[in-house]
Amino acid sequence: MHYKDYYAALGIPKNADLDQIKKAYRQLAHAYHPDVSKAPDAEARFKDAAQAYATLKDPVKRAAYDQLEPLAPNTEFTPPPQWQEDHSDTWHSFEYMDLDELMAAMGKGGKGAHGPHSPMPINGRDYENTVHISLEDARRGTALTIEVAATEGQRTLQVAIPPGVREGQRVRLRGQGGHGRHGGGNGDLYLRIALKTHPVFRPDRHDLYFDLFLSPWEAALGAEVQVPTLDGAVLLTVPSGTPAGRTLRLRGRGLAKDHSDLFALVHIANPPTLNSQERKLYQELASTSAFNPRSFPLETPHAPHTPHAH
Amino acid sequence: MHPTPLMPTEWIWSDSSETLTLHELSLCCGLTDADLNELMDYSALAPLAPVAPLVSDATVCAFSSEWIAPLRVASRLRVDFDLEVFAIAIVLGHLNRIETLEREVLSLKARLRPAQQSQSVGLE
Repeated sequence: MHYKDYYAALGIPKNADLDQIKKAYRQLAHAYHPDVSKAPDAEARFKDAAQAYATLKDPVKRAAYDQLEPLAPNTEFTPPPQWQEDHSDTWHSFEYMDLDELMAAMGKGGKGAHGPHSPMPINGRDYENTVHISLEDARRGTALTIEVAATEGQRTLQVAIPPGVREGQRVRLRGQGGHGRHGGGNGDLYLRIALKTHPVFRPDRHDLYFDLFLSPWEAALGAEVQVPTLDGAVLLTVPSGTPAGRTLRLRGRGLAKDHSDLFALVHIANPPTLNSQERKLYQELASTSAFNPRSFPLETPHAPHTPHAH
Repeated sequence: MHPTPLMPTEWIWSDSSETLTLHELSLCCGLTDADLNELMDYSALAPLAPVAPLVSDATVCAFSSEWIAPLRVASRLRVDFDLEVFAIAIVLGHLNRIETLEREVLSLKARLRPAQQSQSVGLE
């Protein structure tokens, strides 16, 4: 493992008090937190600061750290012989441990110290991942192979996604996170489902929406039109007199077969250009029909307001 | 390396269909039982309605596993920014509000034509 100068990481002197430590950490956390900073090295800098703070804010851990011989940053560092002796079984994995975890494992972490021959159990880390799946896979279910960046190296997991998942749904896979040490339990793997953008359908929880464009005569007279679904095209009956903005439902055609629907949002599209025959028919309709789609009251303009004399 | 297959039975949905005890919730989100009790004191965390109304012990309360995700974020922010539990209570309220608003935005976007979405101010 490599020695890290925690005081340098926080930019504080060795005799800094707790308030100085806390203030320095908060300044760095504010500047480099990955959720806030766009700097390319933000995550690494934040991690260094957090690791340093976790040790220096704890008087017991800080005292243990201060006992180490100061070394140049990133110098290859060998823990004291007693530490190696106590943990000969896990010595090979020390390079993957951080100094703070190591001290906790040695019982120098303050809480739950078990003595040198009974190291504190360390639970494995939880991992979080987002999996992106198509709407078709969300409806039918699928198997995904995901890569998890684990402390002990890259792990590959095959995960079965059941049918009927939706955007933002979360699942916990118990024990599939990092491996615990010294009797600690394995961490969990948390997956978040993200649905890929579809060229036709837009999901709303388990339901799906798409735009159905009708010609004026299809909307007026009614029609049977072929529409897409995730399982292939089907015939949809459009009732006569269907107005723009109406939603037509296809039951059970959403993401979950048993409790979700596919909704067609009706839009009425006019031909971009009219040939002479079409124009003639429209003109005939205009002169024949008494239909007025504008129902708001139209008042005659008022004369300019003249104040009354008193 | 061959992938490790995971059986579907190992899935635990983090939604309203699954419930957790206070202690199970604390193990999932990295906060202590005492922290969660304090969040309940601030009304930032609410258990499901108790089946037996006479039971008032928080340790036997059931919580929707929908709480896991926001509590894990809150717990991480607590560690990262060294926040007190009261600050976490405020953060939790905002996280839940953001989640609700994001769902509503997605729901409204599903009902809008793409052309209308691009014309709408502030949605993209």
